Formats: sequence, structure tokens, C-alpha cells
Amino acid sequence: MSKANPTVNQNGVLDNVRRALGRSSTVPPIPLDPFIEPSAKTDIGELVERFTEEATAVRARVYYMSDKLQLVAGDGEQSGTERIDKLKLVGQVGARVAEICRSVGATEVALSDSALIAEMNLQEQLGTQGFSIFIPDAVSSAHEQTAARLAKCDVGLTAADYAIAETGTIVLSSDEPNALLVSLLPAVHIALVRSSQIAASLDEVISKIGKERIGRLDSSPSVTLITGPSRTSDVELVLSIGVHGPKELHVIVIDWWHS
Amino acid sequence: MANPDLTQRSHDALENTVLQGALKAATTTFIERRRDAITSIADWEGLRQRARQVKEHTINNLDFYLEQVVQKVEGHGGKVFWARTGDDVSRYIIELAHARGVKSVVKSKSMATEEIELNHALEAAGVRPIETDLGEYIIQLAQEKPSHIIVPAIHKTRGQIADLFEEKLREGRPNEVAEITAMARKRLRHEFLSAEMGITGANFLIAETGTVVLVENEGNIRLSTQVPKIHVAVVGIEKVIPRFDDLSVFLRLLPRSGTGQKQTAYVSFLNGPRQAAPESAFEFHLVLMDNGRTRILADEQMRESLYCIRCGACLNVCPVYQKIGGQAYGWIYPGPIGAVISPQLQSLGQSGDLPFASSLCGACRTACPVDINLPDLLLALRARAKESGAGRKLSESIAMRSVAFAAKRPRLFAFAGKVMRSFARLLSRDEKIKSVPFPPLSGWTRYRDLPAPQSSSFRARWKKHLDE
Repeated sequence: MSKANPTVNQNGVLDNVRRALGRSSTVPPIPLDPFIEPSAKTDIGELVERFTEEATAVRARVYYMSDKLQLVAGDGEQSGTERIDKLKLVGQVGARVAEICRSVGATEVALSDSALIAEMNLQEQLGTQGFSIFIPDAVSSAHEQTAARLAKCDVGLTAADYAIAETGTIVLSSDEPNALLVSLLPAVHIALVRSSQIAASLDEVISKIGKERIGRLDSSPSVTLITGPSRTSDVELVLSIGVHGPKELHVIVIDWWHS
Repeated sequence: MANPDLTQRSHDALENTVLQGALKAATTTFIERRRDAITSIADWEGLRQRARQVKEHTINNLDFYLEQVVQKVEGHGGKVFWARTGDDVSRYIIELAHARGVKSVVKSKSMATEEIELNHALEAAGVRPIETDLGEYIIQLAQEKPSHIIVPAIHKTRGQIADLFEEKLREGRPNEVAEITAMARKRLRHEFLSAEMGITGANFLIAETGTVVLVENEGNIRLSTQVPKIHVAVVGIEKVIPRFDDLSVFLRLLPRSGTGQKQTAYVSFLNGPRQAAPESAFEFHLVLMDNGRTRILADEQMRESLYCIRCGACLNVCPVYQKIGGQAYGWIYPGPIGAVISPQLQSLGQSGDLPFASSLCGACRTACPVDINLPDLLLALRARAKESGAGRKLSESIAMRSVAFAAKRPRLFAFAGKVMRSFARLLSRDEKIKSVPFPPLSGWTRYRDLPAPQSSSFRARWKKHLDE
């Protein structure tokens, strides 16, 4: 193992870079002007609609659930509207998650440790519906066992930090312990996202993630943008879903008053 | 030409009907998908020019941004290693693997590690590398080299892949593409869970935050970086971009140019080891690789070839690539960008014939998401190959000198023209020269007809026109 070298110039590469640029020491450049495309202000309803359209186009299934009215989109089921209260919404999210789990013949469901999942009381709801629940430990010492166990779970349930309407993307981060593994190893991934977390464009979300990362040297969260289920076109350019990551992606958009 | 093999490899490719069918289908599909995808961007040209501007700025200040990367990554608890050569990279990774008792390594598609043939070095050192991108996995099983930057096994049909899986995996013959995928998933899932190290490249490296950005569709990169406790990213020094905010320009350009997607299934941002605490068992190693890049950087004319984001769009639109495919280029970077960077990363002596494998039609530049002036770079490299003697022939040199001699002497020029015209008309039938029995012209007429010259010269006709 090479000794850790705190200097930034093993093997003289940086010297070669400077020489190639015709100087002997680094000169800080004048930064480029920022280039963020202004996004048109859009209301939440439009954002939900666009998100649903784009995510459905890449074969994710999107469900919209609100404490005001309920619509089903993206899975070809009938839509309907009805006024419901908050407790009823929690119950309906639970029923929806349970229904997806049953549709894939799941017995074991992995949950990431997230506020929204707790708020929707999903551990208890899924437990009473007869699913066995696995919530991975945040402790790294059991990493191999956690990964092996998650690979045996049928469904992984997480909550997204953001969503992006223009591409139908959800954004997960490791701020939520093990969310990235829970969203990756089981064959089916269900993600919850609050409607208020849907941004119009990639630029907005990149800018937000960037601001959160800058100056956070003490911790090092990873972030993943997820757009549809895992896919490949490596054989004759034929689309094949579910190569290494999840074969199904379900996104439940939750629109409730204090979101 | 320096390497007579290019001609032979091209002949082989042209005679391979399976390859011809695969290339036509693939390049046509890619061109259509890209065309559709870029319509979702209001100002595509503006985005391209912005991307070029960012790359130009970064490359011209590469020392500054690399120092920033190192400072940030080390601050996150990651280790940085600078590698001057491919051997430096391999040595570092092998030492690390041996020190940590690593027996198998899951790899995601990385042109950087293909470039340095890391797999050979790992195997020789007793560490088993497993390619996990489906296309790369197929290539590894077949013991071949990739033929496309984005779709490495594009030259293979599903039938050939089914035969390969049946022979190598011994689990029966997969009949459908979905069965091929499922078989690979099952095999590789096991490898992900047992490998002690994951090796990836990087699409971008953000200086401001020390973030490695990886773009993919399959999920194998996520698995390679999240499951094994040790992650090593091998990254060419040209991959840096200054800020997080600069990234969205490239995340809009890359998937649309590469696969025609608005966004790939996954984009991962990794900031060092997953848990940065000193006692953490997680490790992140960033290997910053030169391997000839500072030589390109020092060459102001060629510097812009470092702007490339490896999307593969120039391959798909290139009339030469469309016919000969990737493997005929003889190294891992095919198409117009390959013809530009291979002779620079290797040498003019090794691949100096590649810049001649182009019609200079300019389609590559139009397709390039960072507007690299590929036709000019190809021309410049041709000139250098000739100057260096690598591509010079005595007969060509005599012919050029003779033309120059005659062109300076109007009466000689007119006379020579007359002789050659009469001679050419003797050989022509139906206003075409279909066959010349002696070289070098026979080389031309073997594949194409030459239009017969007019019976009088342009100067004679012009004179007549003025007289009338």
C-alpha cells in the first residue's frame, strides 16, 4: 500500500499540468458567470402532472394521494375523487403500499428510516397486513449482512428528498440511513415523495443539492437521481427492464396540508 | 500508412454481414433517438456553447481545479493518488487489493480502465475483475474489446450472445433478450454481494465539492459503489468541472447525446467514503490519471480534444464508423474522437493512420455536445503524420513534387493535361473509367468508377466562352 501522501503532487502530475499550461505555479482563475436557466413558476398541480407524465413515460408508476381528493394515475386504473381526512389518507397510503407489495407477491419489505414513512405509520400498517418488515441498522459494522439481507427483501420502501418534474426523477440521499441500499437491492422500489418537494427542473435541484454539499466537509452524503426502473439496451438496442437495480419503481406522491 | 492493419481490419468489417446489419440498425436508431431527445431543449446550441465554455475554462485552469478536488476529497476522508501512467494506476490498485485481502473486484464500465488494460494487470496479480455492465460483461466473456463507447457489444447479435452465455455460464440457452438480462442479473448479483472492492470511472468530477458523478442505466454502478466497502474511482484528469451548478448543463447534454434519453435511470453523486469517521470500514480512493493527457494539454492546437465527455454521438453519425464499426479502429476509442485521441494517447507511429479514416464531412462536429472541432483536428493530425514520416510514401511524394513542378509552368501544365486527358479517354467507356490495370489508380477503380474527363480543358472552354 502506498503511503498516504498529503501533498497533492505524487508522480509529478500536477507539475506536468502546470508546465503544459505554461506556468510554474497555480493562478486562481476568475470564475465563470453562473448559468442557471430560469424556470417558469409553476403551481404544484402542474408540477405533479408533469412529473407523472414523465415518470410514466420511463415506466415508473405514479400514484397521487391527497387529503383533499384522490386520483390514480399512471397505472391505468380508474380515477375518482372524494373528500377524505388526514387519518384516512394515512390509511390509504398504507393500503396502496400493501396493494403494490401483494401485487408482486412480496413477503418481506425493507423500510428506510425516514420521517415521512414514520408519519404514514407504514411499519405498523404493513406489519398488521402480514408482511415481515426489515429496517436496516445504520451501523456500518453489519454492512455485508445488511446488504445480503436487503437483497432477499422483495420490496424496498424509501422517501425521496426531492423530485424533478421535467424528467420524472426522484432524488434520494444517504442523509436517510441506508435509503440508497433499500432503493437498490430489492427487486421492487416504492418511493414516497411530498408534492411540495417536486421541483420544475434539474437546474433547481442541482442548485439545491450543491448548496447543501458545499462546506459540509465533516459528513459526506451521497445522492442518487432515479428516473424509472433499472434498464439496459446493451443487446441489439432492445430495451430490457430490471437488469441490476429494481425491476419496478412505484412513486407515491403525497399531497397533504402540512407537507 | 503507418499501420497497414487498418485497411485489413476495415475489409474484414465490410465483409462481415452480421456486423454490417448490427451497425446499420444501431447507428440509425441512435441518430433518431438523439434527434428526438434534443427537441426537448429550447436552445440546444446555447447549451452546447455553454458546455464548451465551461470545459475550455476548466482545462485552461486545470491545475487550480485539480488542487481543489484533492483538498475536498481528502477533507471528506477519501484518499487521492496521482498516476502518471497506466502502470501507476494498476500498481496502486493491486497494492491496495493485496493489503485489504481483496479477491474479487466488481467493475463498472470505464473507458479509463479499458485504456490502461487494468483487468489484465489485476488478473496477473491474482485479483479477479468482474465487468458488471451488461455489454462489458458480454465483451469480457467473449474476451474481446468494446466496439462502442456507450454500447460495448453493439457488434453482437442476440443469437451470438445466447451462444456465448450457453457456453460460458452453463445454465442453458437464453432465448429472449429479457432472458439474457435475467441470467446476467442472477450471476452478477452474487458477485456484487461477495466482491470486496468496486472500481468505477467517473463522468464528472466537481472541484467545488470533490464529488464524483456517475451516469448509468443498469444500476451496476450504484451496486459497485454502495455494496463493497472499498470504492476506487479511476478518473482522467480532464473530467473536472468547477462547480455543482455547472453540472446541470452536462447532465442535460450527455444522456440526450449518448442514448437519446432525457435522463438516464441513475445519476450518482459520491463524496468520499460513505461514513467518514476515522474508524469507518468504508474507503474511497480517487485515482487521478494522466496517461498522456498532459501531453495533449501542452499542445494548444489539440487541447480541445480533452473537452470530450465520451457520449458516443460522433461515432453514430460518422459514415466511416457506420461501415467499419469500433473494433476496426484497433484500440478502445473508436470513431472520429478515437481517430483524434488514440494517436495522441498512444503515438502517431501506433495509430497515426486513424485520422485518415474520415471523410471530413463534419457530421461529428455538428453532433458533438461540446462542439469539438473534430474535422480540423483530424486534418492537423494528418499533416503531422505526413511530416513525421509515419504516413509518407515515396510514390506519393514523387507525384506531389511532379504536380508542383508542372503547376508552376503553364505551358508544361497545359501539355501534361492534354496528354493525360487523351490517355484517360482511351480508358473510359460510357463517360466512366471503370478499370485501370496498373497501380496506384487501380486501387481507386477497384471500388469505384472515375468520371471520364471532358475532351477539352476548362481553360480552353473558358477561352471559347469569352470569344463567343
